[in-house]
Amino acid sequence: MEYFFFIVRRLMWSLLVLVGLSIVIFMIARVVPGDPARIALGPLATTEQVANLRHKMGLDRPLYVQYAVYIGGLVRGDFGQSLLTQRSVALDLRTAFPATLELVLATIVIATLLGIPTGVLAARFKDTWVDNIGRVVSLLGVVTPSFFIALLLQLLVGYYLHFLPVNGRLDPSVSFTPDITGLVLVDALIRGQPGVWFDGLRHLLLPAISLAAASLGQIARITRSSMIDVSRKDYVEAARAFGIPDLVTTFKYMLKPSFIPTLTILGLEFASLLGNAFLVEMVFGWPGMAAYGVRAILHKDFNAIMGVVMITGAFFVFVNLLIDVLLGTVDPRIRIRGARS
Amino acid sequence: MKRVGITFLALGAVWAAAMASAATTVTLNVVQIFGTIDPAKVTDYTGYMAAVNLYDGLVTVDKDGAIQPLLASSWEASPDATTYTFHLRPNATFHNGAPVTADDVVYSVKRLLAIDQGPSYLFKGVLGPDSVTASDAHTVVFHLQKVFSPFLATVPLIFVVDSKTVQANVKDGDWGQAYVADHDVGSGPYMLESWTRGSEMRLKRFDNYALGWGKDPIDNLRFVVTNDEATVRSLAASGELTMTSEFQANETYTALAKMSRFRVVEQPTGTAFYLKMNTQVAPTDDLHVRKAIACATDYATIRTTIYPGDALAGPLPAVFKSDYLDTLKEPSFDLNCAKDELAKSAYAGKGPIPLTFTYVAGASFEEEIGLLMKSNLEKVGFKVSLDPEPWNRITEIASKVSTTPNVTEVFFGATYASPDSMFFTQYDSAASGTWSSMEWLNNPDVDKMIADARATTDPAQQAAIYKKLQQTIVDLQPDAFLLVQKVRHAMDKCLTGYNYVPVQSFDYNFHNYSWTCGN
Repeated sequence: MEYFFFIVRRLMWSLLVLVGLSIVIFMIARVVPGDPARIALGPLATTEQVANLRHKMGLDRPLYVQYAVYIGGLVRGDFGQSLLTQRSVALDLRTAFPATLELVLATIVIATLLGIPTGVLAARFKDTWVDNIGRVVSLLGVVTPSFFIALLLQLLVGYYLHFLPVNGRLDPSVSFTPDITGLVLVDALIRGQPGVWFDGLRHLLLPAISLAAASLGQIARITRSSMIDVSRKDYVEAARAFGIPDLVTTFKYMLKPSFIPTLTILGLEFASLLGNAFLVEMVFGWPGMAAYGVRAILHKDFNAIMGVVMITGAFFVFVNLLIDVLLGTVDPRIRIRGARS
Repeated sequence: MKRVGITFLALGAVWAAAMASAATTVTLNVVQIFGTIDPAKVTDYTGYMAAVNLYDGLVTVDKDGAIQPLLASSWEASPDATTYTFHLRPNATFHNGAPVTADDVVYSVKRLLAIDQGPSYLFKGVLGPDSVTASDAHTVVFHLQKVFSPFLATVPLIFVVDSKTVQANVKDGDWGQAYVADHDVGSGPYMLESWTRGSEMRLKRFDNYALGWGKDPIDNLRFVVTNDEATVRSLAASGELTMTSEFQANETYTALAKMSRFRVVEQPTGTAFYLKMNTQVAPTDDLHVRKAIACATDYATIRTTIYPGDALAGPLPAVFKSDYLDTLKEPSFDLNCAKDELAKSAYAGKGPIPLTFTYVAGASFEEEIGLLMKSNLEKVGFKVSLDPEPWNRITEIASKVSTTPNVTEVFFGATYASPDSMFFTQYDSAASGTWSSMEWLNNPDVDKMIADARATTDPAQQAAIYKKLQQTIVDLQPDAFLLVQKVRHAMDKCLTGYNYVPVQSFDYNFHNYSWTCGN
């Protein structure tokens, strides 16, 4: 029960964080140079037209009134109108968010499936050539910007080898709208269209690999160092002394406690990728929320900026909460500590 | 019998497959997203790129800037040029099959003026909500509130929407804005097939297009949104791209030219590149200072090395043939001339003259021009402060004379096919306070000449005014006239029909293109 209240407390704090975030972003969006009404109407609009639109948008009202109106709308699920796309931000996000989510999910899957074994192997064969290769690969992944990897893959695989597509979510010849969940791979499966699924996967691979490199490196490094720490514990020595096979010791007794910091990192990576995917999205013409957010900033599209930040922020908070719950499940000591705090 | 049926089915499948492969698709990259496809709200080049393919106006513009029939097969103006009557083609239909009528034109104009965005600013004081009437189903009359001689040149920007469909989808008196933002309600040569915002737009050919189709038309259009040079090259290498945007880097054009499939097509445009000088603040309020800056501009290096273009002698590019003053002398780089002019200025002899010089942050060629100008200007006695600013910020600082820099690098192209678009927007006092009029010229003689040209219906008299106006502006030297921009595309050798049109993105009307390599 105490743990339940701990979660509720965390939830309340999360709400406060979101309110704070909304105030900060609302203010920042308004000090970015450029008049949004002028940008929306085009360079040749008359001063009178600009003034009319400013009035229509409520930009001539005090900031606190503008904020109150915005929050009022937000509570009703209304993110306002986008100046850039001339339609509701909620509608824009409904199509852009799943595209980014699909990309980020694929990224996390790749990073996890490759990062954890790399970390485990590097720890198991510490200070051997296996470890050295693992460390170099991890470090390269962390320090190389994802857009650079994206360009490199694009040139190599798209330009020279023509092996995988380099733009968009589906081939131009494929007529398919992912209107069930917004995720091409999931919707194609639901509708039983394996051709579309395969085409979607081919389009997803390069952007996901580009984005996964940094997370992969991070996960591998954290897993390695946690595994090394755990390997020095008494119970691991005891397990070895009892003659339990090495594979069982590594994966059954060492990996689970070592996974705690990795899980935390995974959660943070997952949430931050939502906002950080924009360069990769730009390079691969991926119609996602991150690229949408950047365009919104460049066009000073207030409502779109707020929408993207609030969704990313909410997701960040939600994933953090989820990780707390998961950590409590993986390690009961965390659950007890949380309940007592 | 069963076997015959199967044979027919198989033949049908083969025929269908052959027909499917016969469709030609042109894929073109664009460097910014399609903001809106509502013709009453479009403002930028991608918006107009969609609009000219989805919608038709009463008239359109050809490569020479001449007005050509479109939905209207003919038109006439009253002797006093305040009434224009357009006769619609009887066979024109919207994409849903409904006929295009005079009522649709009346509604489209009312809608444009009511929404008060997009090109509506052109009609302020010229058209009111009741200025357009339908005489019969195929005749529409425009009653102008005053003589406005460039009127016909602005008509191509009035795109006609299917009034019945729009009215059926009006919500809360929004003139159908929510609906038209996502749906095509036009009669243009192409129909909207799909649109993934931020990624791509696909259009398909409208078989029943009123103007018909010539030989080897383009069946499908795909606009891919990407401004990444590596992506453009990869798309070209993989055979996916047919035509690049006009905004690629030199390296991309060079790389594509080396691919056997591509050729690079280059044409002069109606867009000029200026150093706009604020004539109301020190020291550029002094004519001799402005002339000194013009003399210290290394035009040849800029045009040949930094940014390819043709020579520009005055405020008007030569594309406006009949109104162009061809006796203007091409400006030249002469540091002695700059020193002499500076010596005549009121600021001479007081040490280095401070000068603020602004360009678009991130535009490397503009930065190179800025550095070149700084180097040359400091040789003759200026102290130049280079201030790169984001474009949004430039539009903001241009709104006040006190915040407008001494010199700003600005491109400007005609919005409609008339010199009025170049003169009024840049030099008329009524247009002050925008990025296009950062000169703050506020000259009564210039204002009068622009007004006189607008009120004159005689083309010869109008041309005479415009020529005098060009000389006056050159004498006042509010700008250093850098160059006329060239437009470049790398395009598949099989794709023909591209011609630069001096209005918005009208050169991307793919009804004028064809695929010459068979299928």
